Amino acid sequence: MKNETTVPAPGAPRQRGRVSRRMSGALRMFAALMFAGGLYLTFAPGVQAQGAAPMSDAAQAGQALYDTSCITCHGNNAQGVDGRGPSLIGVGSAAVEFQVETGRMPAARQEAQAERKQPQFTTDQARQLGAYIQELGGGPQLPAGEDFASKGKVSRGGELFRINCSSCHAFSTGGGALSSGKYAPTLTESTDRQIYAAMLTGPQNMPVFGDTELDPQDKYDIIAYVRALQDDQDPGGWGLGRFGPVTEGLAIFLVGVVALVFAALWIAGKS
Amino acid sequence: MKRRKVDLKALPGKSAEAVDARLHVATPLRSLLNKVFPDHWSFLLGEIALFSFIVLLLTGTFLALFFEPSMQEVHYNGSYVPLQGVEMSRAYETALNLSFDVRGGLVMRQMHHWAALLFMAAIVVHMIRIFVTGAFRKPRELNWIIGLSMFWLGFTEGFAGYSLPDDALSGTGLRIASAIMLSIPVVGSWVTTSLFGGEFPGEIILSRLYIVHVFLLPLILLGLVTVHLALVFMQKHTQWPGPGRTNSNVVGERMFPRYALKQGGFFMLVFAVIALMGGLFQINPIWLFGPYEAAVVSAGSQPDWYVMFLDGSTRLMPAWEIRAFGYTIPPLFWPTVVLPGILTVLPMAYPWIEARWKKDKGHHNLLQRPRDVPDRTGLAAMALTFYMVLTISGGNDIVADKFHISLNAMTWAGRIGLLVLPPLAYYVARRIALGLQQHDREVLAHGVETGIIKRLPNGQFVEVHQPLAPADDHGHTDLPYVGWTVPKKMNRLGALGPAVRGFFRPIEQAAPPVQQKQVEPPPTREEITSGKH
Amino acid sequence: MSESNTQVVDLDDPNLTTFDIVREGARRDGIEIVHYEPQYPAGSKGEKRMVRIVSFFFLLTGLASTAFVVAYIWWPWEYEMGANASKLYTPILGLTLGLALIGVGLGILTWGKKLLPHEIAIQDRHDGPSDPVERKITGETLKFIGSELSVARRPALKLSLLGLLPLGAAAAAPLIGGLIKDPHHPDILFKTGFAGATKENPIKLVRDDYTPIRPEEVSTGGQITVFPGIPGGVSNKYADSPTLLIHLREGDAEALRANLYEMNQGSPWQSYVAYSKICTHAGCPASLYEQQTNRLLCPCHQSQFLITDNAKPIFGPATRSLPMLPITVDKDGHFAATGDYKVPVGPAFWEKS
Repeated sequence: MKNETTVPAPGAPRQRGRVSRRMSGALRMFAALMFAGGLYLTFAPGVQAQGAAPMSDAAQAGQALYDTSCITCHGNNAQGVDGRGPSLIGVGSAAVEFQVETGRMPAARQEAQAERKQPQFTTDQARQLGAYIQELGGGPQLPAGEDFASKGKVSRGGELFRINCSSCHAFSTGGGALSSGKYAPTLTESTDRQIYAAMLTGPQNMPVFGDTELDPQDKYDIIAYVRALQDDQDPGGWGLGRFGPVTEGLAIFLVGVVALVFAALWIAGKS
Repeated sequence: MKRRKVDLKALPGKSAEAVDARLHVATPLRSLLNKVFPDHWSFLLGEIALFSFIVLLLTGTFLALFFEPSMQEVHYNGSYVPLQGVEMSRAYETALNLSFDVRGGLVMRQMHHWAALLFMAAIVVHMIRIFVTGAFRKPRELNWIIGLSMFWLGFTEGFAGYSLPDDALSGTGLRIASAIMLSIPVVGSWVTTSLFGGEFPGEIILSRLYIVHVFLLPLILLGLVTVHLALVFMQKHTQWPGPGRTNSNVVGERMFPRYALKQGGFFMLVFAVIALMGGLFQINPIWLFGPYEAAVVSAGSQPDWYVMFLDGSTRLMPAWEIRAFGYTIPPLFWPTVVLPGILTVLPMAYPWIEARWKKDKGHHNLLQRPRDVPDRTGLAAMALTFYMVLTISGGNDIVADKFHISLNAMTWAGRIGLLVLPPLAYYVARRIALGLQQHDREVLAHGVETGIIKRLPNGQFVEVHQPLAPADDHGHTDLPYVGWTVPKKMNRLGALGPAVRGFFRPIEQAAPPVQQKQVEPPPTREEITSGKH
Repeated sequence: MSESNTQVVDLDDPNLTTFDIVREGARRDGIEIVHYEPQYPAGSKGEKRMVRIVSFFFLLTGLASTAFVVAYIWWPWEYEMGANASKLYTPILGLTLGLALIGVGLGILTWGKKLLPHEIAIQDRHDGPSDPVERKITGETLKFIGSELSVARRPALKLSLLGLLPLGAAAAAPLIGGLIKDPHHPDILFKTGFAGATKENPIKLVRDDYTPIRPEEVSTGGQITVFPGIPGGVSNKYADSPTLLIHLREGDAEALRANLYEMNQGSPWQSYVAYSKICTHAGCPASLYEQQTNRLLCPCHQSQFLITDNAKPIFGPATRSLPMLPITVDKDGHFAATGDYKVPVGPAFWEKS
C-alpha cells in the first residue's frame, strides 16, 4: 500500500501530475502546521506528522474510532506495529475507505489475503477514519461524489478494462485465482468509490493504478464499463455465472446428457 | 365426382407401380422396412450425436449466411454499446452482428454451440457404452476405429469453430494452438508459419479455419457418419443376451413403423433440448470478451469442455524441457502432441490387444455386461478417471477460485491424482464388477432372498431363499448364467405384488403384500433358461 | 411360433389378411414376427386416452410454434442495455421452439410406444465369412484382373509406371508449395517490434493509445502494458511485442539488481523493469501481476514467474524466464527500448536453443 511519493517530477507529464502535486502541497502544509502548533507534543520517535495540528471534526471522530478499533495492530498515531499491522502514514483516505468499507479491515486474522466481509463501521464512520488518516499522514484521496459511472465512457472503459483489469478480475468482472491461495475478488459487490479506491491505492497484491497511469477520467471510464456489464442483463438467457466454458461443460452433461438419457430410458423401456 | 374419388384412391398404388417399374425396388424396400433392430436405452446414445450433428448442419448453414471470416480491421458501430467505436476484426464484428443485429441470430448461435457441446458429449458417452459392453469386438473393429476418428475430427472441428469469432478468449486459444504446433520437434516452426501464413496471428488464419470448419471437416464427418451407420446396418446391431437372443439372430422390432417412429421422436427431443438450452442458457458471450488483442487475457481462460483435458494435461505437466546441441523439445510437446497421439493409437489398437490378451478371436454379436468382464470395466474406469482428472485440471483455476483452494495446491493435487487415481479406479471398478458377478451366481445357486427369517430347531436363524428352479436336497439349483439380468427381488418373480410405480414417490398405493403360506416354486424364468444355445 | 415355418403361403388365397402377407414378406427376409399384439383393444378406454394424449402433444406443438412465430415477429428484439424486454427475446424463442419440438417428439413417441402394437421380431444374421465357393470365385476374379493387367509379365510397363510418380508430386506441389512459409527468412520468430531499437535510436514504449510514458507516471507497485512506439506497434501485427513495464519498490529493485543474469545486465532502468508479456510456455499474456509477492502469473496454465529474479519460472509448466527488455529514458524524458529482447519472445521451439 505504497504510493508515488519518491519520484521527482520533471516537466509536465500530460496533465497527470496535478493531483499528486496538490497532494504533496497538502502534505507540506501539514508539516508546517505541525511544527508551528504542537512540537512539544511529540511522543512517538522518528516520523513526521503527529496528530497535534487542529483536526477537522470528522478527523477527530475518526481518531476516536481509531483508538478503539485499529490501534492494536496499526499502533499509536498509525505508526504501525511490527508483525501486526503496517504504518498507515501516507496511505491516504482512499485506502482507509476501501479497506474499512469493504469490511477487510479490521481484519479477522492474519492470512494470505483479507477477505471482503460485513463492514464493522458505517460509511460515515469509515469516512471519518479516512479523514483522520488523511490529516495524519496525507496520501491519495478519492474525488467527491458517489456516482462515478455516469461520468465515464463505456467503450473506452472496456478497452482499458481488458488491458489492465481482466487478466485478474476476468472478462466478466467475476474475479479469479492468483498464486498460492490468493485471488482477485469479484467486482459485483463493489461500489463506484471502492473500485476507484482499489485502482488508486492497489490494496494487497493488486498493482497500483495511480492517477498518472490511469487518470481520473480513465478510472471513470473503467467504472462505467464495469457497471454497464453488471447492469446489462444477459441477452442469451441465464448467464451460468459468466464463468465461461467450465460451467458450460457442466451444463451440457448435467442438463443435456442427463435429460436425453432419461428420454432414452423411457423410449426403450417396456411399456 | 365419383370417378375422381376412385382415381384418387388408386393413385398411391399407381405411382408405386410406376416407381418400381423404373427402379426395381420392391424387394430391397421391403427388406429395409422389415429390418429388425434391438431395443435398449443404451443403443440410443449414439443417436444423440447423430441428431446433434444434423442440428449443427442446420444452424451452421444459417450462421454462415451472416458470418465473414475476415481479419480486416473495422470500427464497430452495431447495437452493443460497450463495444461501439472499438477497433476489431471483421470476423468479430459479424459475429457480434449475428448476436445483436440479426433477428433470432443469437438463439441460432447459441443452439449451434450447445449442439457442438452435446455432439462431443454424446460421442464420449456412446464410446464408453461401446467399450464397456464389448461392442467393439470382432467383427466391429472398423466401426470402433471410425468412431474414434470422428471424436478427433469433432474435436478439431469444434476447436476451429470456437476460434472463428476472433474474440479475446478464442484468440488466446488459437495462440496456444500455435504454440503447440511450434513445439513439434524439427518441423514445428515450419508448420506454424505455413498454417498461419507467417507469424501468429497473421492475416489469413481465419479464412483457412473457416474453410476447414464449414467444408472440409463437415464433409469428412458426413462421410464417416454415413459409413458408420452403413456398417451398423450391414453388420446388424449387437444385442444383449436374453430370452431367445443368440449370436446369430437379432431380436427386436422391425424398423417400420414403430422403431422409425421412436427414432423420429427422439430426434425431435434432442432438437428440443438443444433449442431449450440455446434459448435459456447463455453460452460463449463473445461480447464480454472483446476483440482479440495480443496483450489481452482473462483470468479463467478455458477452452470448451472437450478440449479441456488437453489444457489440463498442459497445466499439470512439470517444467521439463529437453535441450541438446542447440535444439529444444519444449514441455508443451508431451501433453499436447504426444499424449493425444497415444490416446488415438492405443484405443484404436485395443480390439486386437484384447483379442490377444483374452485369447478370444471369435465373432461376437452379443454384448457383455460390464460386470462380466471386470478387467475391461476396470480399464474403462481407469481411462475415465484419467480423463476426468485432466478435464478438472483444465478448469482448476475456476475450482480454486470458487472453492477457495490454493491454485498451486490444485495443480499438485492434479499431478498426484493423475498418477494415483486411475489405478485406484481400476481396482475399485474391478472389485465391484466381481462382487456383482458373485451375487448373480449366488442368486442362481441359492435363490432370491425373501426377507423371511426362519428359526431352525437348533435355535439357528436362517433367511429363507426362493430358488429360481426346482432345487436339489440342499436347496441348490444348477442354473447357468447367461449374461443377462438375474431376478433378485420377489416381485420380479411375480411372487409379490409388482414394484410400486413412480419415479420419486409412488403414484399409486402399493399392493398389499400377497399372503402366501408357502411360496410356489415359480416356473423357471425365461431370463435364465431360454438363452441356452 | 414355429408352426408356420414349413407352411407355404399362397398369396392369392382370398382369406389372407394384410398382416398375413406382411408376415410372409418378413419371413422371406429371414424375419419371424413372434409376437404382435395391440396394447389396447380397438376403441377401448385406454386407447382413447392415448389418442387424447397424442393429440394434446400435437396441439401443444401447434400452440408453441404459433407463439414462436408471434414472438419472432412482434417481441422487441433490438438490443438495448440494461434489464428490459429485449433480453427475453432469445429465451422466449428457445422456450417456444423447445416446447414445439418436445410436443412433436413426445406425440410421435407416445403414438409409437402406446398406440402401435407391441412387437417382437427375430431376424437371422448372416455374418461371418462368405460362402467358401463365393470367396474362391471372387478371389480368382481379382487375381484374373491382376494378371490381365499383366504388369508382372511386362517389366517395361512396370518401369514406365514410375513415370507417373511426378504426377503425384505435381498434385501435391501447389498445396504444399502454396502454403509453405519459411520461418527463418525473414527471421520472424526471433524478432519483435523492438527489433530496430539501438542505444542511439531507441524505440519509445507507448500505451495502447500510442502515448509515451514518463518514469513518474508509473506508481511504485504499479505496472503498465506497453508496446513498441512504431506504426502499428499496438496492433496484432506485433503480437509478440506487448511488454509489461513494472515499477518495483526500492528493496525489490535492489534484489533484482543483485540477481540479474549476465545478459540482463543494464536492462532495467533504476527501479523500473520491462518484461515480455508473452508467456514462454504457450504464449498467453502472463500479466497477473502480484505486487506484494512480486510474481507474474499466467492465467492459461498457471506458470508463475518471479519478477525480482529475472522473471524466472517458479511454478507451473513454464521452463524459461520471461525475456527482459533493455530500457532507458530518452532525451524527451520518455521510456524507450535500447534494443530488442536478448532471447526470442514467446513459446520455445526446436531451433530456439
